[in-house]
Amino acid sequence: MLRKEINELLTETDAGKPMGDMFRQYWIPALLASELPEDDCPPTRVKLLGERLIAFRDSKGRYGLMDEFCAHRGVSLWFGRNEEDGLRCPYHGWKYDYTGQCIEVPSEPEESGFCAKIKLKGYPLIKVGDVLWTHMGEKEDRPPAPIWEFATVPPEQTYSSKRWQECNWLQAMEGGIDSSHVSFLHSGGLKTDPLFRGAKGNTYNENDKKPVFEVVESDGGLHIGARRNAEEGHYYWRVTPWIMPSFTMVPPRGDHPMHGHFWIPIDDHNCWAWSFDYHPTRALSPTERQAMEDGYGVHNQYVPGTFRPLQNKDNDYLMDREAQKRGDSYSGIWGIAMQDASLQESMGPIVDRTKENLVSTDNGIIMARHRLRKAVVALRDKGVQPPGRTPEHQLVRSAARVLPPEEPFGDAMKDDLTARPGVKQTSV
Amino acid sequence: MPHDHDDIFEADNATRADRGPVDHPTMLSSCARAATAEEALYRVQYPNSATRTTRIFALDQAAAEAMYAITDDLWDNAHFLTVLGNGKITADTNSYNVPISHPDGTPANLDAELAGADVVVLLATNGSSEAAAEVIARECFDRKIMCAGLALKRGPSSESMDRVVNSMRRFTRVLVVAQDDDYIPAMLTALRA
Repeated sequence: MLRKEINELLTETDAGKPMGDMFRQYWIPALLASELPEDDCPPTRVKLLGERLIAFRDSKGRYGLMDEFCAHRGVSLWFGRNEEDGLRCPYHGWKYDYTGQCIEVPSEPEESGFCAKIKLKGYPLIKVGDVLWTHMGEKEDRPPAPIWEFATVPPEQTYSSKRWQECNWLQAMEGGIDSSHVSFLHSGGLKTDPLFRGAKGNTYNENDKKPVFEVVESDGGLHIGARRNAEEGHYYWRVTPWIMPSFTMVPPRGDHPMHGHFWIPIDDHNCWAWSFDYHPTRALSPTERQAMEDGYGVHNQYVPGTFRPLQNKDNDYLMDREAQKRGDSYSGIWGIAMQDASLQESMGPIVDRTKENLVSTDNGIIMARHRLRKAVVALRDKGVQPPGRTPEHQLVRSAARVLPPEEPFGDAMKDDLTARPGVKQTSV
Repeated sequence: MPHDHDDIFEADNATRADRGPVDHPTMLSSCARAATAEEALYRVQYPNSATRTTRIFALDQAAAEAMYAITDDLWDNAHFLTVLGNGKITADTNSYNVPISHPDGTPANLDAELAGADVVVLLATNGSSEAAAEVIARECFDRKIMCAGLALKRGPSSESMDRVVNSMRRFTRVLVVAQDDDYIPAMLTALRA
């Protein structure tokens, strides 16, 4: 249960809202780099944190992200001409550079300097890995560029996707740290999904349906350990890191690629669910990459030409009651990603947390909300920068390992939970 | 299996056709599209849970001090209890011999406190309380009561925290390691204590 005012504090992310201000302290994923594939390519509309923006790549390869609408008469610059180092409004020819600065107003005398007085709100847009990142806060608060491992390994070792999720970011993110749902909702996928099946650890999952949880605060957020029985009194640990405000990684299985998510608010009723797969030490195989493109693992299929999932609320997510009955899919929905999204969207655009009945195994969620609330209030009241912005907080990994019972995972798996270039993931 | 893009609408129609005319969504509220803010207004409003019975046990002095800071807050049906004289408790101690007290110092009885409890929370700041944790957790196990452990960090030493965690790990289904005492009320509020 969460009080109404705290629910609002954590879920509302428009400019001027405390959580909106907090998201604006981070570099957040804005677009896939493939959405702006070449210089002078068509611009792309993107909505983030309740702001409608236009992204483009100019003639020199510089990325721009700015107010979608021309300062003159409010025309959407999506209709604009991306040419000669700027985006030109097709209505009266006003032109903007990649920072949002107006550089040409054809109707005014060139010498008047009028265009220097016009500037659209603009944000930096940088490419790290196959993702374009933006920082929507003040320049003086800008943190170092992101160094998440999935974005810094060589391109052949990583794959990212994004999908539109039709609900608030927080309920989507909470699914990522809710380890106890895996034994139910995703139980079918361990046997069939090409990006999960075959790992020895899967048998521990299948043999012990009642994991024991340990939630440990870390400097950047949390570690959530799920413990199951393994051989000879040993424990099989699966540890999920959560880094504030919305980064999580799923514990790995065998030598399958590692995967994780970002949840980024579009507005208070929609978010981008970013999903990535990478392997720290080897290229993804053609089969693995194809499986990701086909929507297996944490990825999904799309309505062609869009980032909307093919299974969506307009088609009841293609619910398959026979598959549900057979047990191929516990919920009857195909695919890990849409199994989560379908249920999270069904909660409503912003779930009413005053009515929920949390239990002890929800402590990961309870602690994440607690950390978020404290960070939001500290930023709002004292200007304290939140955790998760610095490189040392971002050098994390998920991990899975079998340990003797007396060893706390926090100590025994400290290195395993740290991103180390060229070192393989710890997995079972 | 992945869905074929080209056949998606046919598949969708087939799925709907299988449901027959009665189940065919004809209104917003009878399909997944009903997940809107407007439709949320029609959710049935009623109290969907009864009051829970929560018992919180501070296993050492520092944990008790952290607990006392919130005992005067408004709680539904939570009892805050302190385990006394840890040194006298062994793993074999019978439940009726575990010395516990209410915040005002009056003695309490473990069996009576656990009767009808829905959830038990063990608070600890050091590893001196393993035997008490074991006795209480054993009673919880026998009575099918969910037992959660909350280890409160004191200072930077991970060694002392390891002792706390190890003292409770074997006995709790959920174990939380928190850096600040203010997680106690946050957790109890979330659990409707």
